[in-house]
Amino acid sequence: MLNMSEKAYVLALRALKQHNYGEAVNHFDQAAEQFATDREFVLLRESTRLLVAVKNELAALRANDDDDAIIEEVFDGQETDISG
Amino acid sequence: MSRQQTLTELESVLESFLDRVVAVKEQRLEVLDGINRLDDIARRIDRGDELTDQIGNWFAEHNRWLSEGTLRQADTTRISRILDQIGSRLEKAEETTPAMTKIAAEIERWQRQAGGEKKIVLTRGPETAPKSDTERPGSLARFADQLQRLTARFDDLAGSSQHVLSALDDALTSAERQQNKDALILSALIIYSLKQENYKVEPYVKRLRAAERRIQGGRTDA
Repeated sequence: MLNMSEKAYVLALRALKQHNYGEAVNHFDQAAEQFATDREFVLLRESTRLLVAVKNELAALRANDDDDAIIEEVFDGQETDISG
Repeated sequence: MSRQQTLTELESVLESFLDRVVAVKEQRLEVLDGINRLDDIARRIDRGDELTDQIGNWFAEHNRWLSEGTLRQADTTRISRILDQIGSRLEKAEETTPAMTKIAAEIERWQRQAGGEKKIVLTRGPETAPKSDTERPGSLARFADQLQRLTARFDDLAGSSQHVLSALDDALTSAERQQNKDALILSALIIYSLKQENYKVEPYVKRLRAAERRIQGGRTDA
């Protein structure tokens, strides 16, 4: 039978194929017990982790842009009197 | 270039890299995925689930592997072991359905075609099942797990080697370059076995010690 680390590595590769990068990171973490010293594994795991971090950062930046756009839309570039 | 542009480019580079890795490994991934699915089926049968349909589907989907020569020796060995396990579970079933008989025949056909000659007979099995890994104490289960990994690794190496010394050389290379602990332990096992057969093992022992030092954090060679 396959052990749990091997199964997790296969699932991680499958998740990569389906572009489910977050899921792939979880499976890589589960596979790490056996493969942590395998160079190819480390490269794939770290690349996927970096990609997830980049995607999170981009999502945060885009959300900020959206907020800015909404603020501009709401106030339409006009000065707004917010005093009571 | 803005921070967002830089990140977008990095995202694209990483996605492209991972896509290419997966593309290179596509065929291997398909095989490993198939073995994994069969393994899942075997585990669920262990839990008492009725899965003859799923086994049938697995055969329908993967029969071509034998004719296309897709499998490595190690893959064939693994699949045969899992099928043996499924076959023995079928043997222990209290009732034999036509679907089970068909699956048993499929398993027998696969084993024959893959090079094995194992015969599967559907009879009622003993009342008690052997202990599973989950019932064993921790250290025993871990060691059993490690033995299984070592066997699989050896199967992989033996599949591409003509002699056990070539397999040993590959295992040592993996221990040295990838600092892989399983490869180190497998190397030690092979060396000890060769020593018992009066092979000259000193050069391999030196490499083993050097690899061991690297893995333990030391960087000096022998």
